[in-house]
Amino acid sequence: MRNRTIYLLLLPGALFLTIFMVIPILLTIGSTFFNEGSFSFEGYLHYFQDKYFIGILLTTLRVSLVTTFICILLGFPVAYYISKVGTRTKVLLLLLSIFPLLTSSVVRSFSWMIIIGKNGVLNKLLLSIGLIEEPLNILYTPTAIIIGLVHLFLPLIIITLIGVLENMDEDLLTAAESLGASRLGVFTKVVLPLSMPGLVIGSILVFVGSFTAYTTPALLGGKQRVISTFLYQNATTLNDWHTAAIVATIMIVITLLVTIIMNQIAYKINPKG
Amino acid sequence: MALFTLENISVAYNKQNILQDFNLEIEEGKFVSLLGPSGCGKTTTLRLIAGFLESNNGKFLYKGKDYTKVPVNKRNFGFVFQNYALFPHLTIFDNVAFGLRLRKASKSEIEKRVASVLEIVNLRGFEKRYPKELSGGQRQRVAIARALVIEPDLLLFDEPLSNLDANLRENMRIEIRRIQQELGITTVYVSHDQEECFAISDQVAIMNKGIIEQLSDPATIYNYPKTKFVADFIGFKNFIEFENRTIHENEIELSKSGFTFIVQKNQANTESDRKIGAIRPDNLVIRPFQELVNPGGNELPGKVKIRTFLGRSYQYIIETPIGDFTVNQEMLVPYQVGDEIILEFPANKMVLVK
Repeated sequence: MRNRTIYLLLLPGALFLTIFMVIPILLTIGSTFFNEGSFSFEGYLHYFQDKYFIGILLTTLRVSLVTTFICILLGFPVAYYISKVGTRTKVLLLLLSIFPLLTSSVVRSFSWMIIIGKNGVLNKLLLSIGLIEEPLNILYTPTAIIIGLVHLFLPLIIITLIGVLENMDEDLLTAAESLGASRLGVFTKVVLPLSMPGLVIGSILVFVGSFTAYTTPALLGGKQRVISTFLYQNATTLNDWHTAAIVATIMIVITLLVTIIMNQIAYKINPKG
Repeated sequence: MALFTLENISVAYNKQNILQDFNLEIEEGKFVSLLGPSGCGKTTTLRLIAGFLESNNGKFLYKGKDYTKVPVNKRNFGFVFQNYALFPHLTIFDNVAFGLRLRKASKSEIEKRVASVLEIVNLRGFEKRYPKELSGGQRQRVAIARALVIEPDLLLFDEPLSNLDANLRENMRIEIRRIQQELGITTVYVSHDQEECFAISDQVAIMNKGIIEQLSDPATIYNYPKTKFVADFIGFKNFIEFENRTIHENEIELSKSGFTFIVQKNQANTESDRKIGAIRPDNLVIRPFQELVNPGGNELPGKVKIRTFLGRSYQYIIETPIGDFTVNQEMLVPYQVGDEIILEFPANKMVLVK
């Protein structure tokens, strides 16, 4: 009896999600298969033959993957350090590292515009010390989008990694060393496999976040479209809701696929994670 | 010659000295235990030998070579952790093979050696399981196998049995001793359990506040503790600080507040600083007050202050003119609180410590 009534607690949340998320998503996906009243895959076929769309899709994937990779590279050492310091310093460093998440992405993006723009702080500095002769073209390129996204999503990787690194038994590392492992060996054979759960969750968050991000690429990418700005353009500027629905469905599928693939990789490295 | 030596080692944490001018020599093939209360520096000593921590001062010599600065992963010592420290993401086979893979052993050799070491610890057939799927005792044996398979020059145990229940603990310590003797491997073992150390070791070092109070074979420590700390640690609960001491041909005569005591002379207790008498509660004898007081000494008049039933025996706290004594005695008709009695100190049961 008790066991059954406890499911009632799920009801409000489940109802909310069904009405405002599951049904709309299913309707959106469903609508993509109907073109002017008849069932067809034409919408998808059209887009997968469209070089402009494929270009945008590949750029978005590349930007998201590079962002995820850079976040891992930058986040791992930071998370490792934070997981080892005392509680007081830890709280302070954690606050500092999640700070980017607490600022508006519009403010953040405009700050980057000032830094990496053609007449920005970075170019002025490099020109004045004679390292470059022509201003670097960073703003309104995929690189600018990556910089903005790394800044935004680095905290997610750091936080999820701290979770697993904090709970890692120090003796495991010492044990590996006493069996003959070098520092690098300890990292690749013990720390990395045991960090997999956190690394995968962090990577999925960063990847999905980057893949679906709108403000940062819209402001820092200029004419360089990514899939979410493309979707927005179709839905609002061109008022083409059919195309927007197809793009949205493609985004959902790719997000799911990447999540599954990342889980598989993690399972290969650490089957017990 | 000693296999390894710790010379004037000092270790400090947060400006607090854990070890200071610490010295220890261990011979090849011996099983040596470090025994003491928590905080006595025994684990620090073990971790220092393993190379997990560095000394501020002093030298660690292994086979005459200076090992002080040799890093952990170049020492080839096997370490068995209190919490086993098995790699949770690896199977039992891969856990044991970990050290061999790092030594670039061939696949066939790894298989052969893992199989033979799992045979030694009675864990054949568990190769494909994960640590989570094993019991505490099995995990401990995997940890031992993992340390043994690299054919270590030295085997180090950090309280390996403290997480196991009592029965298993006894079986495991017999196992550990058997494996150690079979392979003839020099072993240092840390524990706070006196019985465990005595049962398993060739030599026991009793540690207190960062120094070794006594290093001997278990029987010597049990029967002839050198210091008051050692005596107290191994169960001599009664102490008398004597005022005068005279050494005769076969015995030593001591006195305190006018009461005389005779202790049999042996090779150890004639040292001039041995002025504290120690005796176990089991070795004191209570007699009814009516009987004659032995004129030669070794007896005190007393009164039963507290009586506790221990099952096999009664424990009495006896009040005497020179202090309280704890006595364990089996008897059908126990003494009552308040009874006047005579407390007898058998001359061959009292030891002298400093």
